[in-house]
Amino acid sequence: MMEFSLSEEQEMLKTMARDFLENECPKTHVREMMEDEVGFSRELWKKMADVGWLGLVFPEEYGGSGMNFRDLTVLCEEMGRALLPGPFLQTVLLVGMPILTAGTDEQKKEYLPKIASGDMVCTLAVLEEDGDFWPDGVQLKATQRGNDYIINGTKLFVNNAKGVDYILVAARTRRATEPEDGITLFLVDTTEWGIYIPPLTTMDQTRQQFEVTFNRVAVPASNIIGELHKGWSVLKEAALKTTAALCAEMVGGGEWVLETTVNYAKERTAFGVPIGSFQVIKHKCADMYSDLEYSRSLMEWAAEAIKDDDRDAHMAVSMAKSYCGDTYKIVCDHGVQIHGGIGFTWDHDMHLYFKRARSSDTAFGDAYYHRELLAQAVD
Amino acid sequence: MTSENLEALRREVRGWLRENLPKGWGTPEYVPPIRYSRESHELGREWTKKMYDVGYTGFNYPKEYGGIERPREEVAVIYEEMGRTGTPGGPLSLGLLVAAPAILVHGEEWQKKRFIPKILSGEESWCEGFSEPDAGSDLANVQTTAVRDGDEWVVNGQKVWTSMWEFADWGLLVAKTEPDAPRHRNLSYFLFDTSTPGFSRRPLVQMSGEAEFGEMFFDDMRVPHKNMMDEQGRGWYVAMTALMAERSFGGTGFSGGMAAMGGLGTSDLLGANALVELAKNTKRYGKSVWEESAFRQRIMQTAIELEAMRWSGTRMAAKMMKGTPIGNEASVLKNFQAEMRQRRGDLTCEILGAYSQMVRGSTRAVDEGDHVYNMLRARGATIEMGTSEINRNIIAERILGLPR
Repeated sequence: MMEFSLSEEQEMLKTMARDFLENECPKTHVREMMEDEVGFSRELWKKMADVGWLGLVFPEEYGGSGMNFRDLTVLCEEMGRALLPGPFLQTVLLVGMPILTAGTDEQKKEYLPKIASGDMVCTLAVLEEDGDFWPDGVQLKATQRGNDYIINGTKLFVNNAKGVDYILVAARTRRATEPEDGITLFLVDTTEWGIYIPPLTTMDQTRQQFEVTFNRVAVPASNIIGELHKGWSVLKEAALKTTAALCAEMVGGGEWVLETTVNYAKERTAFGVPIGSFQVIKHKCADMYSDLEYSRSLMEWAAEAIKDDDRDAHMAVSMAKSYCGDTYKIVCDHGVQIHGGIGFTWDHDMHLYFKRARSSDTAFGDAYYHRELLAQAVD
Repeated sequence: MTSENLEALRREVRGWLRENLPKGWGTPEYVPPIRYSRESHELGREWTKKMYDVGYTGFNYPKEYGGIERPREEVAVIYEEMGRTGTPGGPLSLGLLVAAPAILVHGEEWQKKRFIPKILSGEESWCEGFSEPDAGSDLANVQTTAVRDGDEWVVNGQKVWTSMWEFADWGLLVAKTEPDAPRHRNLSYFLFDTSTPGFSRRPLVQMSGEAEFGEMFFDDMRVPHKNMMDEQGRGWYVAMTALMAERSFGGTGFSGGMAAMGGLGTSDLLGANALVELAKNTKRYGKSVWEESAFRQRIMQTAIELEAMRWSGTRMAAKMMKGTPIGNEASVLKNFQAEMRQRRGDLTCEILGAYSQMVRGSTRAVDEGDHVYNMLRARGATIEMGTSEINRNIIAERILGLPR
């Protein structure tokens, strides 16, 4: 049964998250992290762990609090609103979840409590030169040598790679007719010899990305997450959840843009009246509100579908990602335009959201990709 | 209410339906009357009367105004059984939707007793005179006048875009009674008999070629003073009650009005299946339209928007269940569904290519010309029940709090 209103606990989580992030992650912090070589704060990370966010969806036996996926998206909305820098989705959903769902008992006991306590920060490395999230894109090789696998090659678009403790790397361990076959997931300790992490100069500095080059890096076979050659399906499930969580971030960010823009339109005067009294401005604001309303509906549907393990979850996520991606971009377009000159400056925060909207749209398949996926389902 | 009693009622309703539904109902032999025709109106009228006489309709109104008071569980059983077979609709009338709710709130005791029972029984049909050639979005700019003459008012003017105009026995009318009073306080509201001398009506043909709406003319039409509803000069407020009744129908989302207007059934998740099939079966330049990326993208966008509408409707309904009024939110739903209907109409015709020129009546028209008709009819969707622009003003001013 789909529940579309927040429970009392979820309302509390939302309020707590907003207060926490307003105090701990104001725009001054975001801008500081944009200049930072690592791009996020370990100190803040630890505080997030202390209030229980990093173990939110993990079972209690692994140091988590056993809450559900919908609860997590409530948190993600607030993170999107605050433009929180750091690999939260990467650590919890892209690395933590594969360990939880496909890892061995030893791996779960070893890693999950560390993730929950904030002592283990992670990210995922899948994309390579073609920039697309698909099995054919995974070309980086891992070859067996004794009990180790030797990883050789370069990954691109790796979020916060510089400041993390572990990187989950998707590598090709054999050539098969099906591109999905032969992909293996390795949990790589970033302190290993032979890893080079130069920054990528990207538009959205609130979420820093890096190039990661592995120069004959040896990884023990015990660090394989899931089955050998069968990593892609694990990754796909993790990506599905992450995509839904990203939609929540996008809706949260879009709502900040709407609120900020509406407030500006009430205060800013031109020709002697508030610009919000002009119908051209009103109608843009109304469109922003409406687009966000429908984005929220699809996002909440996707989140509920994942929580309930619904058979429509894939469709719901593709619909939500495509619609939220388009919406976040156009809401930011209107936000910048309505702010006029000030909205075009570096000093105003609007461009931070504008750029976050773009990086979020391309992540895990843009709107065109997800519409094509939906089309293929009815081919 | 015991379950045996309810089961007995169920059997009773089932038996009654079997005996009283039109001959051949539910079989391919049954040919329904043409939409908006006199036959369809008469069928609806007779059917409603029959149901009213056995107590199967007329709920939610007090007994003294002809309401049928039945326990909720019984009403549910009756609706369930009728839903199972499907039934003919009601007469072509705004009686239940607009007239009865407005009369119940603003009417005098004699008006409630005289008019509501015959609305519930379907015997009398109603239309509403609201928009005028110079009063559309600016609804308060009514130019039709009513001048007092003894115990009567003499009405002169014109109304346009009257729904259910053709067979209405009674009409609701807003007219200017105080030419010098300020806006919103210069109007009064009347109930008038459409057989009164000086009243005439004619069809208003839309760009789709059919006359779903009408025009009404008043040429020294005399209305008794006692037929004024609420106080003199308070017509605007009665009109607002009537509009709210109409809009709450629109605002109930998918369970109610919007779905009917948008032509949406219960979703099969990919609500755009019909478009997919059409694209697969249509060849342009030697290949199926479905293979064209541009069309695939837009068809899937339609599927996404249909789902977004469905879930927004669900969320809105959940809010209403909790008792949160959603008045202004109706503008969000109304605009989206109307504009979406236009996008879908355009896309459908663009899939058809040259064949989008063939309309109803052509033997070569695809699907009897319905796609082209829907595309044309959808242009009215962003104009009726508040234009998209008026609804955007409502969203901006009443939800977002931007200055007027």
